[in-house]
Amino acid sequence: MAQQQEAVISDQNVTVKQTKNTASIVFPKVSQSQRAWKDVLDGLTKWPIWALLAYQDIKLRYRRSILGPFWLTLSMAITVYTMGYLYSAIFKMEMASYFPFLVGGMLSWTLISTCYNELVDSFTSSEGMIKQMKLPYTLYVHRIVFRNMLIFFHNLFVMVPVYVMFHDTVHINFYLLALIPGLLIIYANTAILGLILAMLGGRFRDISQIVKSLIQVVFFITPVMWKPSALPPEKAFIVNYNPFASLIELIRAPLTGSLPEPGTYAMALGTTLVGMFICWQLFKKYRARIVYWL
Amino acid sequence: MSRIDLQAVHVEFPIYNVNARSLKKSFIHLATGGSVMTDANDHLVVSALKDINLTIEHGDRVGLIGHNGAGKSTFLRLVSGIYEPSRGDIKIEGHISPILDLMHGMETEFTGYENIILRGTFLGNSRKQINEQIENIAEFSGLGDYLSMPVRTYSSGMMVRLAFAISVSINPEILVIDEVFGAGDANFMERAREKMMSLLTRASIVIMANHSDAIIREFCNKVALFEGGQLKYYGTVEEGFNIYHGKIG
Repeated sequence: MAQQQEAVISDQNVTVKQTKNTASIVFPKVSQSQRAWKDVLDGLTKWPIWALLAYQDIKLRYRRSILGPFWLTLSMAITVYTMGYLYSAIFKMEMASYFPFLVGGMLSWTLISTCYNELVDSFTSSEGMIKQMKLPYTLYVHRIVFRNMLIFFHNLFVMVPVYVMFHDTVHINFYLLALIPGLLIIYANTAILGLILAMLGGRFRDISQIVKSLIQVVFFITPVMWKPSALPPEKAFIVNYNPFASLIELIRAPLTGSLPEPGTYAMALGTTLVGMFICWQLFKKYRARIVYWL
Repeated sequence: MSRIDLQAVHVEFPIYNVNARSLKKSFIHLATGGSVMTDANDHLVVSALKDINLTIEHGDRVGLIGHNGAGKSTFLRLVSGIYEPSRGDIKIEGHISPILDLMHGMETEFTGYENIILRGTFLGNSRKQINEQIENIAEFSGLGDYLSMPVRTYSSGMMVRLAFAISVSINPEILVIDEVFGAGDANFMERAREKMMSLLTRASIVIMANHSDAIIREFCNKVALFEGGQLKYYGTVEEGFNIYHGKIG
């Protein structure tokens, strides 16, 4: 036993010598911001992975069902048409103007709120994958945002009957092209703010629950079911200073045949830029810790 | 030339759901697992790897040995880039191919072919490369037409065959393997062994964790003995096992 003890001690001496050898090796000093930036770039270049994962998520959910992913469309249709019928009666609104407004608003609200709700769990729900494989953290965020974008395009078919039924008040015109920059801004916004939420949600498990309840509150203070014009002027700030109102408008306006106002773009881009700054600071500092939180 | 250098590397896990003050002091010194400490914010910290200094060179086939919780799997994940050291430096020259969990990324609702494509995409292969691999994987797994069926219809042995076939269809530079032997029936085992051998010889560095002494003696030319998160010994297989078993006895 004593001999074995000695053997161990002499081995430790060997490792000490090895340390001296390794001291001559130059370890590249890669700063945390370089690593964070690499994560962001790798997240973009590895798009085949997240695109496939997002596609797989949807395919899996509806495998062996007859309608497949068009269940998304159908369930969305049932919800918004019922709401449109009911609330136009409750709010005593003209069906022809209220119905398209509500359907367009619900489409964008569903996209944005589901993104935020799912993004806050992006790291906790991918724990298994994160611990098995070295992939950029931003990849998990892209997976969720891209998946919801795909779902959005399925839901978009809900607009078709609206265009037919209310062809007098709502038109498909060139402004529909504004959907493209709108969706790009929403992609950036949800991915950036989602990464912040994902980090917070990974570290503090209560955040996920808090975000989910807040999103429900936001639904009521954001003009989805009610029109901004219904607010008295002194309460207009509820819409004017609400970033969600502008994000919603980025999709709803082109869908209902008008162009979002410059102020809408300014608000949406502004919050995205502020988010980008905060996100970068947090991601730079805590990226390496994320796996330890799971 | 592939090479791995570690200098004073620590890996420490914060544990957030256990209050440090509510734990008895006796818990702090345990026989297995890393040692438990508290950090500045009174969070418990499990020190999974402590002050690891190590150089693994081209041609080294390193077997990791040690008790459960000694730090072997953490070390594999550290080398694979999943954990970044909490302190210390790590430098890796060469591309790492980890096989940590055979079944990882297998989707049972999807067919065998779809799973091959899925895994190939994960590894960063192009569609063209994947198509070239499919035939090899199909032949090696011996699953034939079953590859067009959803994986959930497979027996567990067949699933392992597919997973193994997919996992080893790589050209590794640095191969990192965690406990992945013993796949399938006797006939497949024999072929799996051959395949594994050729995989190990093609790789310029191999790091593997295995609880079977025989496998480590067969495949490795060096061992790293871990104990309580520390590297107790790094060197020849024979001496490593002597120390390891001497300690147990």
